[in-house]
Amino acid sequence: MKEQMITRLIENATQLFLLLALAPLVTGVIRTLKARLQTRRGPSIFQPYRDLLKLFRKGMVIPETASWIFAATPWVVFFSTILAGLMIPMVAAVAPFGLLGDALAVIYLLGLGRFFLALSGLDSGSSFGGLGSSREMTISALAEPAMMLAIFTVAIGAGSTGLTQIAGAAIGQNWRFLAPAQMFAFAALALVLVAETGRIPVDNPDTHLELTMIHEAMILEYSGPYLALVEWAASIKQLVLMTLLINCFWPIGLQPTWFGFGALQGIGWLLAKLLFLSCAIVLLETVNAKLRLFRVPELLAVAFTLGSLALVSTFLF
Amino acid sequence: MTTLLKELRERFPEQVCSVEESVPGQFTVLLNGPDATAIARHLLTGRQARLATVFAEDRVSAEGVFYNYYLFDRPGDPAWVLLKAPIPAGHPSFPSLAAELPGVNWAEREIQDWFGLEAAGHPNPRRVALHDNWPDVHPLRKDFPLDTVLPPFEGERHVYRPAHGEGVFHIPVGPVHAGIIEPGHFDFAVAGEPILYLQLRMFYTHKGTEKLFERLPIPRAVFLAESISGDSAFSHATAFCQAIERAAEIEVPARAQFLRTILLELERIANHISDAGAIANDVGFMIANAHAGRVREMVLRLCETLTGSRVLRGMVAIGGVRRDWQRTQVEAIEKTLEVVEHEFRDLVAIIRSSNSTRDRLERTGILRPEKASMLGIVGVAGRASGVDLDVRRDHPYEVYRHLTFSVPVYQAGDVRHRLLVRIDEVSESIQIIRATVAHLPDGPHCAPAQPIPPGRCALSAVEGWRGEIIHWVRTGDGNRLERCKVKDPSINNWPAIVEAVEGNIVADFPVINKSFNLSYSGTDR
Repeated sequence: MKEQMITRLIENATQLFLLLALAPLVTGVIRTLKARLQTRRGPSIFQPYRDLLKLFRKGMVIPETASWIFAATPWVVFFSTILAGLMIPMVAAVAPFGLLGDALAVIYLLGLGRFFLALSGLDSGSSFGGLGSSREMTISALAEPAMMLAIFTVAIGAGSTGLTQIAGAAIGQNWRFLAPAQMFAFAALALVLVAETGRIPVDNPDTHLELTMIHEAMILEYSGPYLALVEWAASIKQLVLMTLLINCFWPIGLQPTWFGFGALQGIGWLLAKLLFLSCAIVLLETVNAKLRLFRVPELLAVAFTLGSLALVSTFLF
Repeated sequence: MTTLLKELRERFPEQVCSVEESVPGQFTVLLNGPDATAIARHLLTGRQARLATVFAEDRVSAEGVFYNYYLFDRPGDPAWVLLKAPIPAGHPSFPSLAAELPGVNWAEREIQDWFGLEAAGHPNPRRVALHDNWPDVHPLRKDFPLDTVLPPFEGERHVYRPAHGEGVFHIPVGPVHAGIIEPGHFDFAVAGEPILYLQLRMFYTHKGTEKLFERLPIPRAVFLAESISGDSAFSHATAFCQAIERAAEIEVPARAQFLRTILLELERIANHISDAGAIANDVGFMIANAHAGRVREMVLRLCETLTGSRVLRGMVAIGGVRRDWQRTQVEAIEKTLEVVEHEFRDLVAIIRSSNSTRDRLERTGILRPEKASMLGIVGVAGRASGVDLDVRRDHPYEVYRHLTFSVPVYQAGDVRHRLLVRIDEVSESIQIIRATVAHLPDGPHCAPAQPIPPGRCALSAVEGWRGEIIHWVRTGDGNRLERCKVKDPSINNWPAIVEAVEGNIVADFPVINKSFNLSYSGTDR
């Protein structure tokens, strides 16, 4: 009994460590790959760590108009994202906090963070913040249903909305992503991933133009440690969504349980699949221009339609 | 042109005092009072002339009056007509043309602010060139010493026109922007995302350049002309030197004219390539920007090989250019152009191949041709909106009179066509340079230095990469200037942005703004 508890503790600690430590690295790898594809040298893949370290050491400027919401948001966003991250299967199908909630809980935890970010954008009193909040809400109102439909599709296959069960059911079915329902659901979730992580063609994470920003506009007034928390949370969210996509649809190498050598193998596969997905994101970002803001809903409508098709085709095939 | 001038004399015998050809191709029509409205109206509507700019001069100590100058040109006629309207010092006021000719809105208000001459009947006579919190001073008057130190400003700030309504609000942007951008304030009135109305506030970098010109010895003033707008250093300095050369009747050696032409076109190529990349970058198509930066660098390095300066500073001089080129340098031009032409074609192919980029640029920020000609838009922005103006062709200078080249003109007036004008012009410029290099004559590269006689006036226009640059000078005693008027194309084109963004969404403003790419420093001077 005691031994089992220690094992669980180690598992939880490992996943927490992976979330915190791996997230900036994924951001860094994407940035560097992007720079290389654009014939630039680009920063080191470890630059996001340095940025976080720098921001944590800096002082803060807080707008005079800001209320407690502005101060609470970085913590809410950071911890809700971490919690969501602990509820998804990363290395093994068994998620550390899998018993706390299912896929819907993950979606809503991410939604909670976004809700607070949008509030803080309004709270900062700057017109850019309001602009960003309104845009973010427009996009997420369309992205969330598409994400749910995609998750429901895989949930029906597994007979449960629990992510542990979903991932567990997927293990061993290495070619299942070729099923029509799986393909539609994958495409829907991939589009949501692009929208939710603020990447081209929906948002441009590298721009300095406030008027075109979505995510960055909301957090424009943050500085120092608060900004570090928000940015760290954003990269963790990106990792969470990428992992969700990977483990629901490409279960290759996913372990049923955490277990000695198997866990190491699971981490290895996770890293490999993350790298592959990062390359895909980089390619998408490089060959595309950003969409006209009013055409983003069209893109998400496509995601929603794909999600619906996925759900329908689970019953057909 | 002579028939036109004769006609002016016959139609307005009471207003026209005298007509003289002060410099070959430049006719000065002296009026007998401040009212130029009737003649201007006749030239504009009856003769399809275009009012290029309006500026003033303080001649109170010498002649007891201020002068207002109205500069006209007519399509198909290389001559300029300058209406010179005296304004009595005792009653400093002139009738405004801005109500019927919105293009002179800022120019007339500049005269109000800098000279204290009232533009009577101006629809919006508020401050523009000096901000609202300035005390009541008129710095370009001769009785305002350059070294005046003003007390700290305590006046009121500018009040923007408010926008009311449900869900309507203002987004103030600037004057300090993110990135390496000059200062300027943009006040958007928006209803959600769509822009209802944009109000601009410029002159944050006003440096009193026109006043500074009156102090410097003329050879040193060339450097001041170079720093009016950093990206058009060579064009501005050439315009200035040409004005002095015309005023002093200095013959510029043929070789110098050829070298100047090559450098003017290199400046255009470098800036157009950089803009093509920047426009793509603003819609998130960064790969094109990366390549544009690479190709532009080749041009800049060529500029450094030719002049020692990447941005062509310190090369042009009164009477020619400062340094001659050796054979290897001339060969470097041909070699680099070969590569640049090829690489630029690839860059254009990348931009054209991206449908998502095209979707962003097409029908974004439309400036309609009728609006463009009404507002007096010039240069790249004008040519994308059907305004067929190009100083190189209309008022040829240096070796352009001997060259044949086409001037791209489009009617659509959206961001994409402003990009297309640039792309076409790069190809034309490359051909111009090739033709110029092929016929490069031998000989001196600069006329011998000579003192500039006082009291001469002359005008010079150069097609900078952005559009029509005009310098007007009056020489003074001791190799100095009495007055130098500088007109950067940016000052014409700001109203175009206001017009083009209407009805577009806020998120598209940066790319619309970039497609005009106006100079704040050139506007503010």
